[in-house]
Amino acid sequence: MDSVPGKPQQIIEISGLQVHAGPRQILRNIKLGIPGHSAFALVGPSGAGKSTLLRCINRLVELTPGLRVSGEVRLHGRLVTGPGVDVDELRCRIGMLFQQPVVFPKSVFQNVVFGTRHHGRVHRRDWPEVAERALTEASLWNEVKDRLHEPALRLSVGQQQRLCLARAMAVDPEVILMDEPTSALDPRSTEAIEELILRLKTHRTIVVVTHNLDQARRVADWVSCLCVRDGVGEVAESGCCSDLFEKPQVGEVAAFFRSASRYAASVEGPVTPGATLE
Amino acid sequence: MRKARNIAFQTLAALCAAASFGVLALILAAILFRGLPAVSWRFLTEQIRLVGADGGIFFNLVGTLILMVTALLVSSPLAIGIALTHSIYLQSAILRRRILLLLYLLNGVPSLLFGIFGFILFVKYLGWGKSWLSGGILLGMMILPTVTIALVERIASLPRAYTEAAAGLGLTAAQTIWSVILPQSLGGLVTGSLLGLARAAGETAPIMFTATIFAGAHLPDGIKESPVLSLPYHIFILAQDSFDPSVGAKVWGTAVVLLALVCGLSLIALPLRLRIHEEARNG
Repeated sequence: MDSVPGKPQQIIEISGLQVHAGPRQILRNIKLGIPGHSAFALVGPSGAGKSTLLRCINRLVELTPGLRVSGEVRLHGRLVTGPGVDVDELRCRIGMLFQQPVVFPKSVFQNVVFGTRHHGRVHRRDWPEVAERALTEASLWNEVKDRLHEPALRLSVGQQQRLCLARAMAVDPEVILMDEPTSALDPRSTEAIEELILRLKTHRTIVVVTHNLDQARRVADWVSCLCVRDGVGEVAESGCCSDLFEKPQVGEVAAFFRSASRYAASVEGPVTPGATLE
Repeated sequence: MRKARNIAFQTLAALCAAASFGVLALILAAILFRGLPAVSWRFLTEQIRLVGADGGIFFNLVGTLILMVTALLVSSPLAIGIALTHSIYLQSAILRRRILLLLYLLNGVPSLLFGIFGFILFVKYLGWGKSWLSGGILLGMMILPTVTIALVERIASLPRAYTEAAAGLGLTAAQTIWSVILPQSLGGLVTGSLLGLARAAGETAPIMFTATIFAGAHLPDGIKESPVLSLPYHIFILAQDSFDPSVGAKVWGTAVVLLALVCGLSLIALPLRLRIHEEARNG
């Protein structure tokens, strides 16, 4: 954990991480350092194990039966993998946002304070304050302040995703993991989430898995590109966002960026008159 | 030729359906036709007199309800415990399958064997004599597979994302169970219990040696030597003695009441099941 001058303090360090599903290996020898108070993007082709890697950080991977994890993950230099670690406590400190918003069939208010009430650290009379702070932080307060006691499932999908973010932040985690947080959302909600990431990273640490390289460019300070070698996910290259996107050193990373931008151009680019759609 | 076959097959299927509904309709018609005239307010609220030839079935109805409530109270916590062990705590697929296998085995045990088992354990070994509690426990054991499997299926249908989201917020496994899994699978417990009870209400074999007598019991006032009257046993005894026409009318009347009870439970279970499913989908 020695901090090299010019390099920011890393709050999460992963080393020698391997994940197996039965006889098949999913992740091989992962080594990563995630600096605090910044946004860190994990990119790479699908099937490279980005989500699995993300879920190793808060040990949510252990809920999937049949996965074996070995190696080390450290938070502030303290080992969080292995036995003897309070996993529930760890997950209080490392919040998570999923690809699809998961709201419980309860009211908006009950959803926001869901984690808070179960941790029992905040008195019941302070819950409204916690809810307002979290919803404000998630830029949702103005939209829902008059409907706090309506069913949360009546909100739009974009609002639901911000509600999930508010719920995660109500327990005041220092790290928030996001697993393709905008892939189920429309462009406006996507923009809202991206703005939130930019705002949140000044005082929290964000680790975001995304398949959208432009998104990574817009929100992240650091980026790590995973790739598949012999069917197993590995970290191909990591670095500062601007450097990595400008001058990738590893051939596979450059090839992945090229193919991803070609795809993006074919999807979003101007349609030439007379061009046939495939 | 293919058309003709198709029509023949359709007709055959329709005939099968018609035959089974016909049998059901015949049973219902026979019971209602003979039994309804015997059912009256007096019949429901008076106690048995003249060895069943006169009076009503008040304490039989009460006795059956006592047995059913006891069965419910016995089976619910056990079912919740087994379902959680099966679906949440056990990681090994083999052990999970074994639990289900045991439940199906329990479901297949003839009800008479439950009666014999109860007689040996409660009546003889524990010295309870005939007691409402042993009958309730035995009926609870009998409906346990139905209730548990309904609950297990319900838990399996819960989106995995709920559990992950709760765990991701740092809830302990127990908190996740109490706040997410149980409230959302309560419907399975309710419908499973209603369907199980609908079956248990009509059982005679498990309670005839252990819990119920024909006449002379009112409300139980303890555990030892405190039997109850019950509807199925009433029918069982009177049916053997139904040469007397006044007794015969009472048998059919009791049958109507039992049938109404059983159908009522099944009918409550059906819309409840649909409504709870609807809620789970739409919040």
